[in-house]
Amino acid sequence: MADDDRTDRRRALRVLAVAGGVVGCGALAVPTARFLLSPARGGASAGRWIPAGRLDALREGEPKRVALVADRRDAWTLEKQVELGAVWLLREGDAVRAWSATCPHLGCAVGLSPSGPGFYCPCHDSAFDAAGRRLSGPSPRDLDSLDTRVQDGVVLVDFRRFRQGTAGKDPVG
Amino acid sequence: MGALERIGEWLDERTGWRGALREATEHPVAGGPSWASAMAAAVAACFGVLALTGVALMTTYEPSPQSAWASVFYVQFVQDRGWIVRGLHHWAAQGLVALAALQVVHGAWAGGYRKPREVAWWLTLLLVALAVGEGITGGLLPWDQRGWWARVVEGNILGLAPAVGGWLQRMMQGGPELGAIGLARAYTMHVALLPVAIALVLAARRRLARRAGWGGGAATGPWAQQVARSVLVALFVVVAVFAATGWTRGAPLDAPADPMSDYPARPEWFLLTLFELRKLCHGAGELWGTTLAPLAVAGYLALLPWIDRAGRPRALTVKLPLAAIVAGALALAVLPLRKDARDARYAKQRAGADALAAAAVKLAMQGVPPEGALAMMRHDPELRGEALFEQHCASCHVLGDAGDARKATAAKLDGWGTPGWIAAMIHDPDAPQFFGRGPYAEEMPSVDVRPAKKPADEPWSPTIASEAEKRAVAMFLAAQGDEPGDPPRAVDAATRALGEKIVSERCTTCHLYGGQGDDDGSGIAPELRGYGSVAWTRAQVADPATARTYRDQALDPKRKKHMPRFDGDLSAADVDLVARWTRAHARGVPLR
Repeated sequence: MADDDRTDRRRALRVLAVAGGVVGCGALAVPTARFLLSPARGGASAGRWIPAGRLDALREGEPKRVALVADRRDAWTLEKQVELGAVWLLREGDAVRAWSATCPHLGCAVGLSPSGPGFYCPCHDSAFDAAGRRLSGPSPRDLDSLDTRVQDGVVLVDFRRFRQGTAGKDPVG
Repeated sequence: MGALERIGEWLDERTGWRGALREATEHPVAGGPSWASAMAAAVAACFGVLALTGVALMTTYEPSPQSAWASVFYVQFVQDRGWIVRGLHHWAAQGLVALAALQVVHGAWAGGYRKPREVAWWLTLLLVALAVGEGITGGLLPWDQRGWWARVVEGNILGLAPAVGGWLQRMMQGGPELGAIGLARAYTMHVALLPVAIALVLAARRRLARRAGWGGGAATGPWAQQVARSVLVALFVVVAVFAATGWTRGAPLDAPADPMSDYPARPEWFLLTLFELRKLCHGAGELWGTTLAPLAVAGYLALLPWIDRAGRPRALTVKLPLAAIVAGALALAVLPLRKDARDARYAKQRAGADALAAAAVKLAMQGVPPEGALAMMRHDPELRGEALFEQHCASCHVLGDAGDARKATAAKLDGWGTPGWIAAMIHDPDAPQFFGRGPYAEEMPSVDVRPAKKPADEPWSPTIASEAEKRAVAMFLAAQGDEPGDPPRAVDAATRALGEKIVSERCTTCHLYGGQGDDDGSGIAPELRGYGSVAWTRAQVADPATARTYRDQALDPKRKKHMPRFDGDLSAADVDLVARWTRAHARGVPLR
């Protein structure tokens, strides 16, 4: 009788300790995990129209690299009117074609090709022709083209970012 | 019994520290003393140096995008013995990765994975991964170009992982882009999670080695011999780390991370093999070459205890594959180094990056603003002026290294406004380095050469014939652009008066001088008063058609490739800056 009593009490204590431990650790783990995971929530970028200089500053057949200036938020920091990203602009008559200067392979900055027209990424040797089409190297897709419009002589670019390294052009936040 | 001994005795009675010390230092070594077990001491020595210098660095370093580069700069270039502490940390880190990898190669070759040492073997493999993780997270902390770009690329590689890639990438970067939270996460991993994991692995390996030895040595002998060997090897490692630090004066620091720059990103040396594989394998082969092949090597090493079985020829199952892996990895790592060494374009980009790093250090010596090192670079007149010229002027003009002389359609600006430039220009305005390839070709006649198109029977006389007159005009016009603070110009009053007389009487047929002139009303030739001054240059950049420089014809669409106005594209401050920068570099005077 006394022995049974003691065993029961031990068992109850063990259950209590385990259950209490699980509840306590869970209570700690859930908010901590949510806290750590918070930046992992992704979403498609809204895109925004950013001015990229005057149309008459662009010359036909001559790609020009332009820095887009707008407000930039990084966690708690809001920087007013800083360089947000670079695009390559190419004038075609009164219209302008634009490509993101970020390599679709792994995100290095794409420059002009050292040999002839076109673009080239210095990191893994991806090469693109003058229309942004993939020529050689590891890039899985063409340069990412961006929408443009010209308003009162000023070129506007719909600036977006895309996921790197994929064959498809998936927008990221 | 001395006082010290009595204190020791008192403590031992309550803590048993003497026994613990004896246990730690005099425990018999299973398998006997060997150089293989001394290698573990070398790894531990590296880790010890890293822990000590790491904690020291933490007392100065500040992990935020605004402060990280500046605080590392401070350690490297300002703080007393900072370069030594940082250099020791840098070189001990290289040593940790190299020695851990060497232990794996040695263990595989010597059969150190055999029963009962499988778990210790896996811990050694894990150690390599943890050391590489420390290298990757540590490389980001200076927030310089080298580390930042390498991590951007590696973040995107992480993002390629099936299913969880995008999630993993955002977890590591702290969001869709590498920013403040990503840096804080790398820092947390670098100074807390990974070092604790390494310490646990090293402690566990040591315990396991106590049971079964390190493998690779069969001789038995006293433990004291092992301690002597271990201390010797550890000492050698520390001396080597000091020597490397002294040789390189600390550790490299590139310019502050600039997401807008063209930077030829390269990974750390221990990732060069994977880097080259990524360049070689693309399309369908990318997954195989860059992910599955390295995973296969890791899996092969982890499974060695079962691959190497009695009855199978060890030369075929272990030694040959191991030799192939090591040779292949080394060859692939050397390939990109050799390629870069022969690549003139890479050399140029690298030289540019080095020059920028030197400029950043020079600027930071005067103090970094609270907005951070990148803002410091952006606001520096010299660097900002150069960047503006590169972006807005160099597609037509050439000045110094900026612009391409083969494609230029406007005047080469080296020397623009100096006596030599003016003298050469008025003699041959249509030379390619002056106006010959631009919208004003064949508009200005030479002052002393008969125009080729002029019929032979028409009378012609030079506008300025004598060398003395030409010199006077050149000196007078050059002085128009002088500003307070420029080096003084030695022009005597007579030369100046002669120059002014010629300019105001003979050049004003077409040019304006103080708003007067252009007798035949062509509306093309520019104002000469103040030619080459800051005000003139600024007015020309803002809008060439105000008559303060050129006139309304300057923006005539029929005048192909004419200079555009920049007051719409650039802020007034940027117009002023690029004008002052261009003028200063053209004339070779200080920028102010």
